[in-house]
Amino acid sequence: MANRALPQSKEALLKSYRTRLKDDVKSMLENFEEIIKLAKGDHDTQLSRLTQCEQDTYEMHVRAANIVRAGESLMKLVSDIKQYLILNDFPSVNEAITQNSKLFRTKQAECDQKLMTLRDDVAAELYDLEEEYYTSPNK
Amino acid sequence: MAFNSINISVEAPIENQIQEITYDGMEIYQPPLTLSESLVKYAQKIDFSKTTDLDLKREDTTDDSKSDIDPKDAFQSSLWPWDSVRNKLRNAHQEVCVLADVLAIAKDKRYMVLDPVPQEPLETKPMVQIYARKKALAGAANVLLTGAEKLKTSQNEAVRNRTTPDFHIELLRLRQNWRLKKVSNTIIGDLSYRTAGSKYLQTGTFEVTKAEEDEKTNSPPSSPLPGGIVPAKPSSALKVSIPSELQGVAYIEVLCQKDFEDLCSANINFLGSGAPSSNPDMHWQQKLEAAQNVLFCKELFNQLAKEAVQLQNPIPHMVVGNQIMASVLPSIQLIIALRHSTSGDKKIEKPSHSRSEHDHVLEHSLHQLLREVHHKNTHHPFPHPATGPLGPSKKRMMAGPMAADRYELLEMTKQETLLEQIVRQTQHFLMRMRTEYVLDTLAKEFKDPLITSHWSTHSSATRSCVKITILTHGYDAVHSTPLLVYIAEKGLKCICRDGRVMNLSYEPQELRDLIFYTINQHRIQIVIGLAKVMGWQILENSNHLGIGAVEPLGNAASCLLASPTGDRIIAVRCEPQANAIHVSVAHSPRTDFFPGRLVTERKWEHLGGQFRDVRMDKMEGKNFLYKMELLMASLTSNS
Repeated sequence: MANRALPQSKEALLKSYRTRLKDDVKSMLENFEEIIKLAKGDHDTQLSRLTQCEQDTYEMHVRAANIVRAGESLMKLVSDIKQYLILNDFPSVNEAITQNSKLFRTKQAECDQKLMTLRDDVAAELYDLEEEYYTSPNK
Repeated sequence: MAFNSINISVEAPIENQIQEITYDGMEIYQPPLTLSESLVKYAQKIDFSKTTDLDLKREDTTDDSKSDIDPKDAFQSSLWPWDSVRNKLRNAHQEVCVLADVLAIAKDKRYMVLDPVPQEPLETKPMVQIYARKKALAGAANVLLTGAEKLKTSQNEAVRNRTTPDFHIELLRLRQNWRLKKVSNTIIGDLSYRTAGSKYLQTGTFEVTKAEEDEKTNSPPSSPLPGGIVPAKPSSALKVSIPSELQGVAYIEVLCQKDFEDLCSANINFLGSGAPSSNPDMHWQQKLEAAQNVLFCKELFNQLAKEAVQLQNPIPHMVVGNQIMASVLPSIQLIIALRHSTSGDKKIEKPSHSRSEHDHVLEHSLHQLLREVHHKNTHHPFPHPATGPLGPSKKRMMAGPMAADRYELLEMTKQETLLEQIVRQTQHFLMRMRTEYVLDTLAKEFKDPLITSHWSTHSSATRSCVKITILTHGYDAVHSTPLLVYIAEKGLKCICRDGRVMNLSYEPQELRDLIFYTINQHRIQIVIGLAKVMGWQILENSNHLGIGAVEPLGNAASCLLASPTGDRIIAVRCEPQANAIHVSVAHSPRTDFFPGRLVTERKWEHLGGQFRDVRMDKMEGKNFLYKMELLMASLTSNS
């Protein structure tokens, strides 16, 4: 069951989900590492210190924003996967359908049962009523 | 002077320089430089100390201006043309040698070390740098924290608002009940009956989107729907958008009209009698169900209209707009109308006819018919190929071995359309209603023989059965007349007590007449039964008496009874139409005999005497049979 042949597009989609996950996690890690590296701060440059500081600040901001973006992207990925699972989880859908049909069948049987008892009751009542009516002095 | 910006090219003039001008005005030219002289001149111009282009240029110009001033000195100092060049090269050589020595010593690092000359030291202190870095990190942390906060709040919101379930949970519920698929970023659902076997062309697609959260925070509580389930939570994380042609409420109205007077009506509506409002706050489930209902109604109407046009009827069916008219019985028409209101306001006016109550039978049967068609489309009789086009039906397959003839094959191709079926059902419905009406009125009308009717619970949509029993109160054991009436679509089949089968038409008067006739029969029969019990003799009994006044319908029935001793005779005559009973009594030997001129002896009295009418209405007794019993008893005891 597990390794049944999926259609090409579905396969590609799943692969894209996997790559997205990996990319996002990697992006988080890399950006974090870079921030740490920047915080260490010994790198020789031709630039003046002031400029360097400014550049570092900017770069850190950007990298932090990147981490946040990756996080949000992961949330989106989770949501996408959920959606995909919900829409393509045919066994569970089948189960739901079976359950529904079972539910309705029992409901139907119940209704039938009720109707039958109602009919019987009414017939019995009618019998009594007729009896009463035809033996009453009114008639 | 702007000689910096403008390049002036200087070249030797073609004419030689004028050395002197004599008084007589003759110009004495300088002799042109010889090759060696010009070489010296150019060699002197080489300046090794100048390196950059700019310097060279500047020097060029100054040199030019200088050379213009004292060209003679140059000539005089040029003892040897390469003198200056040599001097300069020698100096250079010396310097290179010294440099090589210094480098050699410095390379050893024993006597000499090369130290970078500290340039002017930067004023930045390490603390400043740390502060800057700290600030940068703080900024980055801030960005991260706000991002994290945003994620957390969104999570918390979902947890806190447990009343509005998560989008995905809602989606899961939706998926469990409806067909969904994803088409490039949008989720498309399908509410058509196609999987159930429908072949209707209109697509019932809807789109699922996430609901915006802000606008529905304080949506007004939806008004309690009559009949419908009040949604417990009006706000949902899910929003379904339905195509405009499926929005609103639709139902199929079925009316039976007789000369523009409604006989019965049925409103077909899946959601019960209460028309659900189509407000936008409705829960998706109800919204989708309403849309599906619209689709179903449309399909049903479409099918019916198609059939109405195609059917060849003696009285053609009419399709006008959203209305189909089909004649059911003479002067009675079945009107099927599709009512679809897309507007949100609930102005579905209930047709104001006298029978406003719902007829669930017609509602249900229309319903059932289309479902059956759907079912047949998907459930083919076995065996059929699992793949590929479907073969002939089971009946057709059996036709070969069973050697079906042309007629049978033709019969197989005939399929009853929905309209025909509903027409038949309506006819039956009307027939049943009429029969009910006739029986009820008759039962009300007649007290003397009681009419009881028992409707069979086992009936179909086009066939039902009622058993009528006619009996006289207090004399049930003596005699009762049963009558069985089968109600079909266009007529009745009545089975009388004696096994005769009568086929009646749709006119209710016929049934009425038959029951009158049966009552008549019953009266005579029960009198006969009573006579047997009382020990009287039945002399004569005729259901169809040929004498007396002519009845407008049927014949009078009669019987003639004789007392046990035979001296008294009772004659009973029942007339069905007038509902009259004539009872006459005759004493054959009269108790008192007076010999007359014509009848001289008493024995002639045995031949039978004159009948005298009994005034039944003056007699004591609850009903006719009681009176008869009294009469018989009195006549018997007298003897």
